[in-house]
Amino acid sequence: MLAVKGITKKLPDGRLLLREISFEAKKGEFIGILGESGVGKTVLLRCINGLTTPDSGEVILNEDGNPQKINGKKGQELRRIRRRIGMIFQGSILVKRLSVLENVLTGGLGRISTMRSLLYGFTDKEVQAALSALEKVGVKHLAGRRAETLSGGEMQRVAIARALFQEPCLLLADEPVANLDPKNTEVVLDYLKPLTKEMAIIAVFHAPELVSRYCTRAIAIKDGTVVYDGSPHLSSSVLEYIYGTGPAVKSA
Amino acid sequence: MSGKTSATTGQGDWGYQRYFQRHLLTGTVFLLILGWSVVDLGISPQLFLSGLPHFFNLVREMFPPNWEVLASGKVLWSVLETLSMAFVGTFLGAILSFLLALFAANNLALSKMVRETARGIMAAERALPTLVLILLLVVMIGLGPFSGMICIAIGSVGSLGKLFAEAIETVDPKPIESLESVGANKIQVIRFAVLPQVLPSLIANTLYRFDINLRVALFLGVVGGGGIGFDLHLAMSLFKYADALAITAVIFIMVWLAEKISDYLRKMVIGREVLQ
Repeated sequence: MLAVKGITKKLPDGRLLLREISFEAKKGEFIGILGESGVGKTVLLRCINGLTTPDSGEVILNEDGNPQKINGKKGQELRRIRRRIGMIFQGSILVKRLSVLENVLTGGLGRISTMRSLLYGFTDKEVQAALSALEKVGVKHLAGRRAETLSGGEMQRVAIARALFQEPCLLLADEPVANLDPKNTEVVLDYLKPLTKEMAIIAVFHAPELVSRYCTRAIAIKDGTVVYDGSPHLSSSVLEYIYGTGPAVKSA
Repeated sequence: MSGKTSATTGQGDWGYQRYFQRHLLTGTVFLLILGWSVVDLGISPQLFLSGLPHFFNLVREMFPPNWEVLASGKVLWSVLETLSMAFVGTFLGAILSFLLALFAANNLALSKMVRETARGIMAAERALPTLVLILLLVVMIGLGPFSGMICIAIGSVGSLGKLFAEAIETVDPKPIESLESVGANKIQVIRFAVLPQVLPSLIANTLYRFDINLRVALFLGVVGGGGIGFDLHLAMSLFKYADALAITAVIFIMVWLAEKISDYLRKMVIGREVLQ
């Protein structure tokens, strides 16, 4: 459904951050991306939904046999594709001074006309859908609160609700459980995992044990290239290689 | 002077002599300008002293203030006219400023040309004194509070627009990107990610500007903008000093009250932010 083909991205100083990254993702998959910090995991996710433009390579979203190239698109066309890709950012991305419900509703802005959104014309149906998205992640009771009053775990759950309301076919998550305590980490990932019935999820993780518990597949990046792509249960020698200076391994 | 400077440029010579030499040029220029200005103004203590009796005469004629002038209701009407001139002018000016600020802010990624044009308009307005603006508007639109209101609106754009643009430039960029990532367009991003973040600052700055504009509205009255400023000017021109004092008292209370209220509102808007 998603095909990433030979993504290369240079840093402003000319150094290569990502070199020829390629992989595919299908509906039902929960892919965990691993790698040392600074290796370019976030940039890779940003290249996928076009927030960052890669120097070469292409990203193709193929929904219902209608392949669409994401990079190189602009304006209306880019927005139409982005509508199909949800994103949960590192830390929180909520608009702090809007209410929780309003934050969820912003997930639908891609399909709501400019005039209607300016006049605040969210329909009852949309509000109901937003509320039920909040219910699915167990925070419906927070709907009227301002986003800035929530705890970190609650914010991430609202971010998931926003992605649910958006109804994407691909969800990108950049360290969705960073800065969360173990209990909240579990809660958030337990809500995230069942979403793979409807979409593919690609998430960046710090902790390999979370990848092995929740993901269906792991991709590891080192020195700008994919050095591992396979089972989420990584062996200790593979992990040593990814995070340290262990011997090279072949991808499984 | 230059010969001396070159003779004392030895290393480590940062003493009194060096200090004196370094500031000799600046000091001389400053004193020359000051001296010339004093001569040009024709400042003379004698003139000031000979004016003092007139001052005491004026004060004597002002007292007791003629409160009857307020009884007709005309002054109250003028107060309302001045207040609404400042209010509508500030409101309109704030809207214009916000629109301009959107184009001038460097984080909304509009083209450089648009940005520079918007900044140029604001800079040009700042360079245009209010007095010049009202004289132009009076010729264009005619005498009266409508000209005053337009003058206040345009006159607010330079400073408010700059403050608004700076507020927009300091917003958290993450919510902006997050809305872009769901496919929201620029207008939607501004409405749902930028505006909520800058609103408290916009309101606080606009309230502050209202205080300034109320004083401007008084002054515009004298030049032909109507309102209570005009009443005061008229009373003074007709040597009705007792009337003038009563009107001044009204102006004093109006400005004082307006500032108290806007202070209170501003603290409410900002205070709430601090609490949360």
